[in-house]
Amino acid sequence: MLKTVDLHKTYGKLEVLKGITTEIHTGEVVAIIGPSGSGKSTFLRCLNLLEEPTKGEVIFKDQNLTTKVDKDFDLNKVREHIGMVFQHFNLFPHKTVIENIMLAPIKVKGLSKEQAHDRALELLKKVGLEDKKDVYPNKLSGGQKQRVAIARALAMQPDVMLFDEPTSALDPEMVKEVLLVIQDLAKSGMTTVIVTHEMGFAKEIASRVMFIDQGIILEEGTPDEVFNHPKHERTKEFFDKVMY
Amino acid sequence: MIGTMTLDFSTMAPYWTWFVEGAITTVWLTAVTVIAGTVIGFLATIMKRSRIKPINWIANIYTSVIRGTPILLQLYIVAFGLPSLGIKIPDIMGIPRSSMYLSCIIALSLNSGAYICEIFRAGLNAVDAGQAEAARSLGLNSKQTMRLIILPQAVKTVLPSLVNEFIMMIKETSLVSTLGLGDVMYTQKIIQGSTYRIFEPYIIIAIIYLALTTVLTFISGKIERKMNTDA
Repeated sequence: MLKTVDLHKTYGKLEVLKGITTEIHTGEVVAIIGPSGSGKSTFLRCLNLLEEPTKGEVIFKDQNLTTKVDKDFDLNKVREHIGMVFQHFNLFPHKTVIENIMLAPIKVKGLSKEQAHDRALELLKKVGLEDKKDVYPNKLSGGQKQRVAIARALAMQPDVMLFDEPTSALDPEMVKEVLLVIQDLAKSGMTTVIVTHEMGFAKEIASRVMFIDQGIILEEGTPDEVFNHPKHERTKEFFDKVMY
Repeated sequence: MIGTMTLDFSTMAPYWTWFVEGAITTVWLTAVTVIAGTVIGFLATIMKRSRIKPINWIANIYTSVIRGTPILLQLYIVAFGLPSLGIKIPDIMGIPRSSMYLSCIIALSLNSGAYICEIFRAGLNAVDAGQAEAARSLGLNSKQTMRLIILPQAVKTVLPSLVNEFIMMIKETSLVSTLGLGDVMYTQKIIQGSTYRIFEPYIIIAIIYLALTTVLTFISGKIERKMNTDA
């Protein structure tokens, strides 16, 4: 569904991505792990072109998002179908919880207020926050904010969900409530790509684990292959450092 | 004591309408300046964010020149410098001295615009980059993102600073008295001319400025508190 070909990203002299070629298939749950600064988040952000790749291609459902020649497609139209959840939630602070969720369906998809409201309420129920619908984000805990952010992305009924370290900014006691929501989503068949430092979680929910190091996919495979039988020294070293 | 005067405010009583008229001139001059300055500042902000480089340059040169030179000099350039080159601002509908007023309004508005441009820029920059990213990732286009997400949040930082600019301008407009325009500062000159009192008018003028700025500071504080409680 979502494919990258020889993806490169350079910031000034720093080459963050050094050629990533992969494909994310419908229904897959891909966990991206790796050391800080390895390019995992940059890779994820290239998938919906929040970062413009320096070289290479991103192809979503046979639509090439990176060709400069054929710019007659509408990137915003594509982004509707790619949901994204950020490390720092990025809820709109001037809108209530339900307004946060209703905004894009109304403005982008052209839903009526009633339709958007019904859909938002349903999603809030799903993430267990219907009682918070009329409060502003600053009244929510980190975990609650992230659940709202997930609901907001889901309201666009995306074909794939991208999670950029969704629990890294949370207090430890709030990590689980967010992971449970993501797990439900993944189990329901949503195509998911998640950058995470929660190794246990990656092991549990991923259908494929991708270890990115120094801008390339060093190795990938099933959780069992990568976690229990890593082939590369760097991967072993990484696990030695993060797992105890 | 020889060479000193005792303060006697009763000498000012017959002239109170002059102070009021001067104060009114100061207030409308400031209001017109800040409103025009806001429009200019808004345009300059758009120019600074343009993708076309020469447009950026023009806006950058404008704000650098204005912020790097004294406002009095800017007033003199518009009021005296330009006419000496043959660029004369005409009297509007034959109203006497309106050309001088217009010159001052142009100079002060251009000055205010540069500072207001900086206020807008700071306001937009104060909105976290993640806000635009979240909006774009949901499929909103750049215009919707600006209008629905960035601007409403930028207003929060911009409004109190705009009121502050208004306060600054109330004081800055006193410079027009050097060009003979009848603002509240100029009242001193005419009253001194008729009463030979120097100090009393200064004190009254100071109190008028202080009253005006205090009212605005109060409003500014109200706005700021309102903004902070509104999430």
